[in-house]
Amino acid sequence: MRYSETLIEHFRHPRNAGMMRDPDGVGESEYAECMDLARVFLRVREGRIEDARFQTYGCGPTIAASSAATELIRGAALADVLELADAQVTAAVGGLPPDRAHAAQVVTAAIRAAARDAVARYETTSPEGE
Amino acid sequence: MNRRVYLDHNASTPVHPEVLEAMLPYFTERFGNPSSIHGFGREAREGLDTARERVASFLRVGKEEVVFTSGGTESDNMAIKGVAAARGRGHLITSAVEHHAVLRTCETLGKQGFDLTVLPVDGYGMVSPDDVRRAIRPDTILVTIMHANSEVGTIQPVGEIGRITRERGVAFHVDGVQTFGKLPLDLEALNIDLLSFSGHKIYGPKGVAGLYIRKGTKMASVQHGGEHERRRRAGTENVPGAVGLGKAVEVRARDMVEEETRVRVLRDRLWTGLSARVPEVRLNGHPTERLPGTCNLCFRHIESESIVLGLDLKGIGVSAGSACTAGSVEPSHVLVAMGVPLDWAMGTVRCSLGRSTTAEDIDYVLDSVEPLAGKLRSLSPVKA
Repeated sequence: MRYSETLIEHFRHPRNAGMMRDPDGVGESEYAECMDLARVFLRVREGRIEDARFQTYGCGPTIAASSAATELIRGAALADVLELADAQVTAAVGGLPPDRAHAAQVVTAAIRAAARDAVARYETTSPEGE
Repeated sequence: MNRRVYLDHNASTPVHPEVLEAMLPYFTERFGNPSSIHGFGREAREGLDTARERVASFLRVGKEEVVFTSGGTESDNMAIKGVAAARGRGHLITSAVEHHAVLRTCETLGKQGFDLTVLPVDGYGMVSPDDVRRAIRPDTILVTIMHANSEVGTIQPVGEIGRITRERGVAFHVDGVQTFGKLPLDLEALNIDLLSFSGHKIYGPKGVAGLYIRKGTKMASVQHGGEHERRRRAGTENVPGAVGLGKAVEVRARDMVEEETRVRVLRDRLWTGLSARVPEVRLNGHPTERLPGTCNLCFRHIESESIVLGLDLKGIGVSAGSACTAGSVEPSHVLVAMGVPLDWAMGTVRCSLGRSTTAEDIDYVLDSVEPLAGKLRSLSPVKA
C-alpha cells in the first residue's frame, strides 16, 4: 500500500465529517488541478477550537487529511490555527507521497480560511474586543 | 474477511495453469536459441513454430502472416510506423478513443510530416464508418481503428470500416488487443490487413504479443538486426512467451464462447444491481455492442480514486477511469471524446470481469460499493 496506516485508518473511519449548525467560522479551499474541494466549519470558545467539521470531495488522501486535520486542531488556540502549516497536516496522516502533497495543502488552506472567518466574525460582532 | 475479487481483466489476467505448464520446459530444458541449427535450437524452433501455427489457425490466416512481438504497444507501433516507413509520406486516419499506443504513434508521425485525421466518436464511443469514408483522401495510406475500447468496451464497426478501406485500397490496421481471444474474429470477412493482439489479456504471459500482417501489405521493418520473424522484427524470439501465447489461444478457442457468455451475464448482474442500489450512477459505452466483461461506470460527485481505494481496502481490484498523476487529474481521453460531463467523468471506475469471476464476487462488490458510495457522498460538499 502506498499510503500510511494512519491515512488508511482516517479514510476508513473519517472523524468529524459533516456540516455544523451556526458555525463560528467557515472556510473553503479548492485544488483546481485535481478538482479537490474541502470545506471546514469551526466552533470557537474562548479563543480555542471546540469543534471542527469538514466536507470534502477528493481522493482518499484528501479525505483522510480532512479527518486528521480536524482532529489535530480540536482544542488548539485559534491564533495557532491561523498559522497551521501543510507539514503539520502531512504529519498527522503519517506522511503523503509527493504526488499527493496537495491533499494536505487543500485541507490546511480550508482550515486557515475558516480560522480567518472566525476572527473576522468575532471582530464584527464585538467591535471593542473582549 | 480476506476475500479478494479481481475485476481488472482488461488490464491483465492471471496465466492459465495449462499455459504455465506449456511454457515451463522452454525456460529450462528447451532453452535454445531458435536460430541455432543444433538440436537445442531446433527444440526451441519447434515450440515457436507450434505457437505460430496455433495463432494462425485461430485467426484462420497463414502462419507466415504472424509476427511475434513484445506487447500490444510494440505491435501497434510496428503496424503504424511500418506502413508509414514503407510509404514515406501520406495521410493517416485514426480515432479519438484509441489506446495511447496508437494515438501517440500517429501523433508522432504527424509531427514528422505525415498528415493525420483523428475522427470523433459518438456518445457511446463509436466511430462512424461514414466519417471514415469522408476522411479518406487519395494520399491516405492507413486507417487504424481499434476493435474494442479497453476503457468502455465499445466495439467499433470494423466490418463496415474494412469494406470501405478495401474498396478504396487503403491499408486497415485494427488494435484487437481487447477482443482477440474474447470475440470471434474473421479477418478475411472484416478486411483487416493488420491486427495487433496480446497474450496477457487472455490468460497468457506478459511480454509477448503479435501482429498479423496480411500477405502483400506494404510494410518496412522498424527494428533492424538479424533475420528473425522473416526480417520483420529483429531480435531473438521470446520462445517461452510465444509458447504461452500459442497455448493461451488454444485454450481460448476451446473455452471462449462459453466463458464469454457466462461473463456477459455477470457483467449485466453488476450493472443491474448497481443501478438499482446506488443513485446517480451511469454506464458508459455502448449498451449492446460492448465487450462481454466490461462495465465502465461513473459515480457522480465522487472522485474515482476514493472509490478505487475504498474497494481496494475490501480486497476488490478495479481501475480508476480518471488518473490523478503528479498532482493533477486528467479525465480519460476516451470519456472526454464521448462527451461525458466532467462532474461524472471524474468519478469513473472500470470493472472488467473474467474467467475467475463468480456471481458471489459480483454480489460482494455490490454489497461493498453501495455503502462506500453512500459514505463518500455524505462526506462531499459537492451536491447536485
